[in-house]
Amino acid sequence: MSTFKYADEKIKSQDIMIAVPSMVIAVGIFNFPATLAESTRYADGWVGVLIGGIIVILFTWVVAKLASLFPNQSFLSYSSSLVSKPVASVLTILFVLQGILIAAFEVSTISIVSHLYLYERTPYEVVAITFLLVVVYAVSGSRAGIFRINVLFLPLIFLISGLLMLFSINFMEIKNVLPVFTTDIRGYVRGTFDSALAYSGVGILFFYVSLVRDVEKVPSRAVFGMSWVVVLYLFVYLTCIAVFGQETTEVIHFPFIELAQSVEIPGGFFERMESIFFVIWITAIFTTAMMSFDVSIMALQSLFPKLNKHTAVFILSPIIYFIAMVPNNYLDQIKFGKLLSYATWILPGFVAILLWVMYAVKGGNRLEK
Amino acid sequence: MARRSIFNRLMKSTSNRNEKNEQQGASHPVITKSLDDNIQTIKHTLGNPTDLVVRELMIGGIEKRAAIIYISGITDEKMINSNILQAIQLNLKKFETNILEHIHNEVVAITDIERAETFDDVSVGILNGSSAFYLDGHKEVLLMGTSGGEDRSIGEPESETLIRGPRDGFVENIHTNMALVRRDIKDTNLRFKQHVVGKRSKQKVVVCYVEGIVNPELVDEINRRIESINIGYISDSSFVEQWIEDNIYSPFPQFIDTERPDMVSAAVTQGKIGIIVDGSPFALIAPMTFSDGLASPEDYTQRWMSATLIRILRYLAALIAVFLPGLYVALASFHPGMIPSTLAYSIAASREGVPFPSAIEAILMAVTFELLHEAGIRLPNVIGQTIGIVGGLVIGEAAVSAGIVSPVMVIVTALTAIASFSIPSYSMSIAFRSLRFAVLLAGGFLGLYGIILVFMMITIHLVNLKSIGMPYSTPLGPTFLKDLRDVLIRAPITRLKNRPAYMKTLDKVSKDTSVKQKKADK
Repeated sequence: MSTFKYADEKIKSQDIMIAVPSMVIAVGIFNFPATLAESTRYADGWVGVLIGGIIVILFTWVVAKLASLFPNQSFLSYSSSLVSKPVASVLTILFVLQGILIAAFEVSTISIVSHLYLYERTPYEVVAITFLLVVVYAVSGSRAGIFRINVLFLPLIFLISGLLMLFSINFMEIKNVLPVFTTDIRGYVRGTFDSALAYSGVGILFFYVSLVRDVEKVPSRAVFGMSWVVVLYLFVYLTCIAVFGQETTEVIHFPFIELAQSVEIPGGFFERMESIFFVIWITAIFTTAMMSFDVSIMALQSLFPKLNKHTAVFILSPIIYFIAMVPNNYLDQIKFGKLLSYATWILPGFVAILLWVMYAVKGGNRLEK
Repeated sequence: MARRSIFNRLMKSTSNRNEKNEQQGASHPVITKSLDDNIQTIKHTLGNPTDLVVRELMIGGIEKRAAIIYISGITDEKMINSNILQAIQLNLKKFETNILEHIHNEVVAITDIERAETFDDVSVGILNGSSAFYLDGHKEVLLMGTSGGEDRSIGEPESETLIRGPRDGFVENIHTNMALVRRDIKDTNLRFKQHVVGKRSKQKVVVCYVEGIVNPELVDEINRRIESINIGYISDSSFVEQWIEDNIYSPFPQFIDTERPDMVSAAVTQGKIGIIVDGSPFALIAPMTFSDGLASPEDYTQRWMSATLIRILRYLAALIAVFLPGLYVALASFHPGMIPSTLAYSIAASREGVPFPSAIEAILMAVTFELLHEAGIRLPNVIGQTIGIVGGLVIGEAAVSAGIVSPVMVIVTALTAIASFSIPSYSMSIAFRSLRFAVLLAGGFLGLYGIILVFMMITIHLVNLKSIGMPYSTPLGPTFLKDLRDVLIRAPITRLKNRPAYMKTLDKVSKDTSVKQKKADK
């Protein structure tokens, strides 16, 4: 039924380039300026963002390169060839769990943040379930469709962030930024650590690279995609500090959304920009939830090849919903997010190191064939 | 999955039909040597209709009986009289050994003439407007193409008027329609692949493309789908469209429908495929993308900068047509703080005394508007103006002064209506109109959050939708950067010489390569 080759379930390396920022940009960006401002002085956090970014770019390359060594092979099959089948299965199950947790985290963030910025009356449950249903609708469609959604939504995200920063130029104060390099070395290390945590989601590459047609370009494209995120984070951080100052940023829960609250669009048609901003940002959160859900399904299907996609969706979505209902307020939520960002570093990091080591030990080139 | 089951069902029913045909074959009428028997069989099979003309004649010198049989009304009787009857009577004075051969080769002055030996060929021929020539003592019949009769003349396409551009439109006659396309494209590679569709109506469906440009897989797929059609009668090309489209649960049209031959010609030279159906002045063009639904031929006849501005305006209109009432309801009932305070006050003041919540008010107005629209279409033109007055007065004035709706709501509804009328494709505009209600409900229940959810759902639907296997969101979804110059902007014609890359055409460049060659020679 595929008249056009590009209409089948295969994707191009450009789609990976788009998918990486779509996955990484979600809710982490809301509060990372606050955590970063705790450990650094004035605008010095940018060093942390940059170093953290370089680390994450390297990590992206490591993962993408590893996955692209085994074109058209699922994570389970290539990891089985490196570290025996049982270990590979356990790792796959861990990725299923991680995908579920990320999706649940996004769902619960939507319901909690929408209470802060959109309305108070509608119950959490309704907000969460409607969002989850849309995610379910997306993952029930074709997998290639998911990448097309990314392509359509990502420009929107960059556009709205760009506009937001443009409009906040009026509110920037130079005294908030200067002087530079006043932080001690421990502050920089902490800042790097904190901002690296904000870039999570590289784990999808382990799975999605198997869908790519021109696999040899994947590592460079994935790195390129990740560098957009680093640039965006840098600008967001600097804008927040320049507008609020370091002390204020530190105590705001979601500095990036508050930034929207402080700006005014010329022409005065909309007030309370933060609601509009958050509503559009929902698409960014949505793409993350959608892809992590989809990766869970993909991982689950590789474990149980006979499992129907719709059955998998049907089994996983109640679990996601219940996990999403656990945190009740934004403090719980931030704690949840913190734990999750550790997990999303430890698991792919561990897997990447393990597989690379095994690849080196087993003398990889032989295995590729 | 759903597709496959539809096709399975289809395959089953076609095989059933074949079995039935074979059963009927047992008592099938045949052509005999006796002229009287043959005439009786024809009359009997067609139920002795009054419009069946049987002209018996004696052929001059040899005193042999013959007959010309045709149906009046679908034939050109002048042609029968002068080119067949007269010719035979004047020319056959002397004896000929093989008289049928002689008539076929020398006498009859008609180009389209063939011999038929089975009764089916003869009866179908007669029903198609041919004249059958029977000769006593022969089992062969001459079928002469005399089809004609009254046709609507070529007029301006009513549903797609342009300020600038060709003014001819398709008619109901498929031969005229094919000729209209042929007049535009004088290329030896222009192909018209004919199918006969309709168990009862036996209509011609023609698939039109340019060989050497079009992707052959696409042609095969369309031919395969058209062959699967199993239906008694097709009153319009939309039957074909609905039968062969990819997703029957989508509000969006998956074929471009057009009355304009220039649209079909432009499409086939771009590597797309036109489908012309006998009896329908609407041709179909496939595959279709979302941006095709918002494009108009006018875009290409105006200067590129104004055309680009108009296109952007049209995308804006599409957004307004789908989202404005929902957005208004969401802002008014959930987020009044987001509207500038002076505007919020005046909205609140205008809603003073309105008994319904704004969601109900909006649905009320939207339904009323749809009613007006529908009534306006169904009524003959003379009475149609009444609807305008009733609508303008009742909806515009009376409803507001009676305090049922607020004036702001009237403005919102009117703006939405105007926006939905500015969508060039009617079937696209219907899709937007139905989606508007989904947005309205979502905005009424969940505010802005609901609207963004619906927006995402529409996007999800659009990226999963396909038209003849091509994603509907092309060239945005599967990204083809070069093709983006003809989506939101319309680049200058000189920059559009390459065919769309997403069509995967065999011949990528539409400019004439021989020109370059000539220059090089000089």
